[in-house]
Amino acid sequence: MKKLITRRTAVKRLFQISGAVAFSTIDWPLHGTEEIWAQKPETGFIVEGLGQTEGYSIKELTKKIFDAAGGMARFISRGDVVVIKPNISWARRPELAATTNPEVLEAVIELCYDCGAKKVRIADHTIHDARRCFAITGVGSVAKKTDADLVMPRSSLMKKMKIHGHRLDIWPAFVPLVEADKVINLPIAKDHGLSTLTLGIKNWIGGVGGRRYALHQDIHQAIVDLAQFFKPTVTLIDATRIMVTNGPSGGSLSDVAVKNTLILSDDQVAADAAAAKLFGVNPANLGFIGLGEKWGLGTANLLKLNRKKVVI
Amino acid sequence: MGPRYREFIKTQSKKGGYLTARHLIWIRRASQAFFLLLFLFLLIESRLPQYVFIEYSHVLSNAQDINIEWPVKFFFQLDPLVLFSSLLSGHHLIKGFWWAIGLLVVTLFLGRVFCGFICPLGTIHHVVSWVKPTLEGARMVRANQKSPGQRVKYFFLITIITGTLIGINFTGLMDPISILFRSIALAIIPGLGTGAKEVFELMAGSDVKILNLIGYGEVLLSPVFGYTYKVFKTAWFIGLLFLAILFLNRIRPRFWCRFLCPLGALLGIFSRFTLLTLVKDEEKCTGCNACTKSCQGAAEPEPGKDWQSAECLMCFNCFDSCPEDALSFRFRWSSPQSNKKPDMGRRAVLAGILAGVSLPLLGRLDGQAHNVSNPRLIRPPGSLAEKDFLTLCQRCGLCMKVCPTNVINPTLTEAGMAGLWTPHLIMTQGYCEYTCTLCGDVCPTGAIAEFSAKEKIERPIKIGSAYIDRGRCLPWSGNGPCIVCEEHCPTSPKAIYFRKDIVAGPDGKESPVKLPYVDLTTCVGCGICEYKCPVKGLPAIRVISAGESRSMENQILL
Repeated sequence: MKKLITRRTAVKRLFQISGAVAFSTIDWPLHGTEEIWAQKPETGFIVEGLGQTEGYSIKELTKKIFDAAGGMARFISRGDVVVIKPNISWARRPELAATTNPEVLEAVIELCYDCGAKKVRIADHTIHDARRCFAITGVGSVAKKTDADLVMPRSSLMKKMKIHGHRLDIWPAFVPLVEADKVINLPIAKDHGLSTLTLGIKNWIGGVGGRRYALHQDIHQAIVDLAQFFKPTVTLIDATRIMVTNGPSGGSLSDVAVKNTLILSDDQVAADAAAAKLFGVNPANLGFIGLGEKWGLGTANLLKLNRKKVVI
Repeated sequence: MGPRYREFIKTQSKKGGYLTARHLIWIRRASQAFFLLLFLFLLIESRLPQYVFIEYSHVLSNAQDINIEWPVKFFFQLDPLVLFSSLLSGHHLIKGFWWAIGLLVVTLFLGRVFCGFICPLGTIHHVVSWVKPTLEGARMVRANQKSPGQRVKYFFLITIITGTLIGINFTGLMDPISILFRSIALAIIPGLGTGAKEVFELMAGSDVKILNLIGYGEVLLSPVFGYTYKVFKTAWFIGLLFLAILFLNRIRPRFWCRFLCPLGALLGIFSRFTLLTLVKDEEKCTGCNACTKSCQGAAEPEPGKDWQSAECLMCFNCFDSCPEDALSFRFRWSSPQSNKKPDMGRRAVLAGILAGVSLPLLGRLDGQAHNVSNPRLIRPPGSLAEKDFLTLCQRCGLCMKVCPTNVINPTLTEAGMAGLWTPHLIMTQGYCEYTCTLCGDVCPTGAIAEFSAKEKIERPIKIGSAYIDRGRCLPWSGNGPCIVCEEHCPTSPKAIYFRKDIVAGPDGKESPVKLPYVDLTTCVGCGICEYKCPVKGLPAIRVISAGESRSMENQILL
């Protein structure tokens, strides 16, 4: 039988709750609330990996940079559903550098499974037909090989969500990215006509549906809002091959430069800032990096981070 | 030999062996079911597979086309009407035409077995007429008497054949395989699919847990409907006509096959000297009319009349229904010319020739086949020049079904009367994927020539060209920055480029923007810019057919 609450206890509890609420909202003059909440438990990190030797193994490089960051186990726990967000917007061959290198993707999926992930899913709201993107970018064959799920971006998986952004309020987001236990952002570094470069933060355009091409009218703020909404566990920028011109779709080998670089960070702004340097672009000139710093998404000052470099 | 043979069969069947009429019926039903299911399976498989895998190590070295693994053109290759019409009008021998030749040879010996055993549209009509017949008893017997209306199908056949000689191919409007494919692929599957989608979405939005969970069942349907729900402009009209054809079965069983089908007429002519004939034993006949009552083709099976080999659908119902064993199908090697001639009637022939001559002429009156066409008539990549295109296109809808972006739609008036239901691209509904080759891959007659991804890029195959509507374009009109068209442009170098400029906004404040321009030499008209343009309604960048590779005239540049 249910125990009834007496009037006396009810009133007592009400006082307790309201008192606690009132107490907690007091602005403590000694510390300042912002500092308490803004302080991260530890400083962020950034690891840059470079494959210098001829015929180096991308898989090995990927593993090494995760090791340098404390190992994949630091990010992925046993039983996690991990969703990887590559950039496979275009049905282009991997060598054209329009899409995330499938070898990097394969390495990351294997590392996730090694750490006991329950399921790894690959989710991207592609621009070209998803089936063709999966097939031609090589992501489909990686998924088959590694037993990862390919998520078809169907309209029923785009659900309106509260973005809480400075520009975007409610927007349809790609549900698997939101429902995941852990999200790994795995973009490729490319040239872009509007945002100059498309790196990690810009990759979140592929995480939403709706009239997403209208986002270009305020692209920098829009993508920073999305990056704050999606909050990936970690960002790994694939710069093994980068597209230096004619981006973001490219289509010719002459648009591609080989950099053999991977950048891993838990700071979305820092990862992008480091990648921008590969293009000879000053991060300060990128609108989304400035806004990212302004709204506390991260820092472009790499010196503030725990910085490591891996060369093989 | 006749009665003795029947005796023999009877004794054998009692022992449980050999072919009786009952066995024949079941063989027919099995064959009909098999071919109908095969047709539906191939129709559903006429798409980019949901999961296509290419080993990326291969992809690294060369561009690989994605093809469909099933022989989705099979029923069109089996259709002699498709073979003849494309041969006569386009002077093109279609791939896999041996199937049609084989079918004609079979028809020469066995009659219209295609209609009774294979034709999927015939099977659907058969089922509809059989499941719930409207007429009963004597009324059905009367309805199954041969009537002069059965000549109409010869009229249609002659119209089509004459028309193909004049150079416009109307076959697809009446060909049963094309009708069935078009109706199911463009109307029935999308209709059911969007209906199911709405129900599932309603359930997924429900607060009741069970309903909510069932809402996810949408995924289970994707093997049939695909992961995107396709829609087709004016498909309602195609669907309505299909329902009308089905409804006709209430007037007469297999109304379509009996009165209208030009393929049936063609096969009827070829069954003139069939060796497998209906042999009647007038002495045994008691005049019960059970044979006529069950006859699907109104081919006069009752003894005392001449059996019409050209009208007989080879369903073997009469053979099965005769209680007195007065009817049997037998091979008659000696005198096949004793079969009745197909009853075409002089009027049907003359009217057919007249219609066959005048329809193509009328169809050309709008000048679309010769002069520059409708600017929005954008044909799939690889399409032949308009005049040749209309000699081959079967309007079957295979390219529309297979297109992964749903850009290919049937025309209603865009291509003129002669081009009804031919494919055209509506760029607000999809776009042509830069390296996709599926429409050319599946076209059964070569109206869309086969091409490889490499060819498509390197030749390049242009389907039109884009132009910018500066009054609508966001940067041009001072309404804000936007580079979406340039971003999506698939060519390298891009056909859309920028000039930096200062433009005054609505508040009069000047700001630097990138203004898009189109380079007509590199633009292929794929339409992704129009499709992705954020200016909804009428996009600020649009594609017109001018500049298409297939035409010498419809060009812009020198």
